[in-house]
Amino acid sequence: MRRFRYEYGANPAHLLMALTSFAVVAWALAQALEVLGDPGRFLIWLGGAVVLHDLVLLPAYSALGLLAAGALTGGEQRGRLRIAALNHLRVPALLSGLALLVWFPLVLGVADSTFERANGLSNEIYLERWLLLTAVLFAGSALLLALRARRLARAP
Amino acid sequence: MGDARRPPSPPLPDAGPFRRAFWRSPLRGPWLASILSSALLPLIAICALTGFLSHAAYDPDLGGNSLFDEGVDLYFFSWPAGPAWLYAVTQGLHIISGLAAIPILLAKLWAVIPQLWERPAVRSAAHGVERLGLAVLVGGSLFVFATGVLNIQLYYPFGFSFVPAHYYGAFVFLGALALHVAVKIRVARRAFRERGVTAPLRDDLEHTEPEPPLDGLHTTAPESPAPPTMTRRLLLGTVGAGSVGLGLMGTGQVVGGPLRDLALLAPRGEGFGDGPNDFQVNKTFDSVGIPMEKVGPGWRLRLEVDGERRASLAREELLELALITASLPIACVEGWSTTQSWTGVRISELARLAGVRDAVEMEARSAQSSGAFRRATLNRGQVDADDSMLALRVNGADLSLDHGFPARLIVPALPGVHCTKWVGKLVFKERA
Repeated sequence: MRRFRYEYGANPAHLLMALTSFAVVAWALAQALEVLGDPGRFLIWLGGAVVLHDLVLLPAYSALGLLAAGALTGGEQRGRLRIAALNHLRVPALLSGLALLVWFPLVLGVADSTFERANGLSNEIYLERWLLLTAVLFAGSALLLALRARRLARAP
Repeated sequence: MGDARRPPSPPLPDAGPFRRAFWRSPLRGPWLASILSSALLPLIAICALTGFLSHAAYDPDLGGNSLFDEGVDLYFFSWPAGPAWLYAVTQGLHIISGLAAIPILLAKLWAVIPQLWERPAVRSAAHGVERLGLAVLVGGSLFVFATGVLNIQLYYPFGFSFVPAHYYGAFVFLGALALHVAVKIRVARRAFRERGVTAPLRDDLEHTEPEPPLDGLHTTAPESPAPPTMTRRLLLGTVGAGSVGLGLMGTGQVVGGPLRDLALLAPRGEGFGDGPNDFQVNKTFDSVGIPMEKVGPGWRLRLEVDGERRASLAREELLELALITASLPIACVEGWSTTQSWTGVRISELARLAGVRDAVEMEARSAQSSGAFRRATLNRGQVDADDSMLALRVNGADLSLDHGFPARLIVPALPGVHCTKWVGKLVFKERA
């Protein structure tokens, strides 16, 4: 047993669970590739999702966040108001970005024709609605920041 | 860190994101990863269960219902014909829980991203196995959420068939998730024991300390943390707000009525108007390419039993039969529903007219010449159900062409796409 732990790096139950998990994954992949007929595209989407998230989306929003943080609270400028301003910018930006990430086909109108064929309505309203949501989030956040700034200014 | 055990020549450069010091957020660490997982797991459980139920709701072993030939099917019962709201609820939960899980999944991936770059890349065989599983887990999770979200918006850039890809993608995801939970549950236990489950949420900014590592475990606790600019409760509050917001958008299109306005950005958030036929359409008449004469005055409903023609009725003749009226939802697999008052002829009455004594199933065929859902097969319970009908009218008016004029199926708890529109023929199958 100690020998196994030394060679493998964990107990035998770990290996057993891993093999069970891989068996399910391998079965599902084999089924998908057989049923879909276009195995390349399925695998590209599976792997592409990881690349797109880990190497594009996450670095991109992290960089934007760091940029904002550097501008507002970089160096010695770590006053409470500056930190508050950073958060009043980051939170609405994250929520608006999330809405766009999830609903971009409707907001950007990339699937116009299938959408209209399906329900007979136009998807023009979604860009307006997303812009409105974004405006409300930022405006609400700015208003709260203004109230906080007044409170901070009055505080001893 | 166990530097003594590190291999002498690391295969990866000691630069950029490969350096532990690169990842500076003081909020990252095992507690954050664990609290996010604790929120995520129940949502995934609901989403997975209702997803498999939806598969069962299609009764894929009947007639031409299956959208693909599956090797193994997790399906072991006949979908019931009631309560009427059953599919609206299970599929609504599927879409709502899936949407609500997205921000938490993204936050979780943010919390553990340093692990992607950890050095040495593989510490042991067991660690290598875990990392392989993680690659599958991240790919599988993003895949099922991305395909699901694109599907409900009717956007198909992927070029493969959605249903089997989403279905088998879910097995890939859940298979990898099971290993991940089994391996990491002790990290969550340790993190909650040492830091408390919710205690870190009480810290204001002055008291927000970087997360300490857990002895003997490799975690994402930062090695050289930056000073905090955000409390943990603000981070989790933002994630929670995103989750609740997306969940409400999903809820708006499931519940409908006045709540439909909540579905601000969801695909079924638009209203139609106030007329009897002004409610959500899945496929418009114009989009399916049925020639007008096939649904014009010459239309007749044909009833067949085991391949033998038994009756043929004009719409006026159907309207003279005993009619029933019932308030039933159309519940779409895309996660929206709309409840309307339908009037039509009971399926069991039509079976009697066709001289069927004991129907085991019935297939409805549409006048559509193409499309995956131009036919649907009902099971015995659905054929016999009191409210199962061939609907001719809705809310007191004739069906509109978009809603299936001259006649459409309406069956309690049946997925919307199986409520076949523009029905031309009903084929009953009797027990031999």
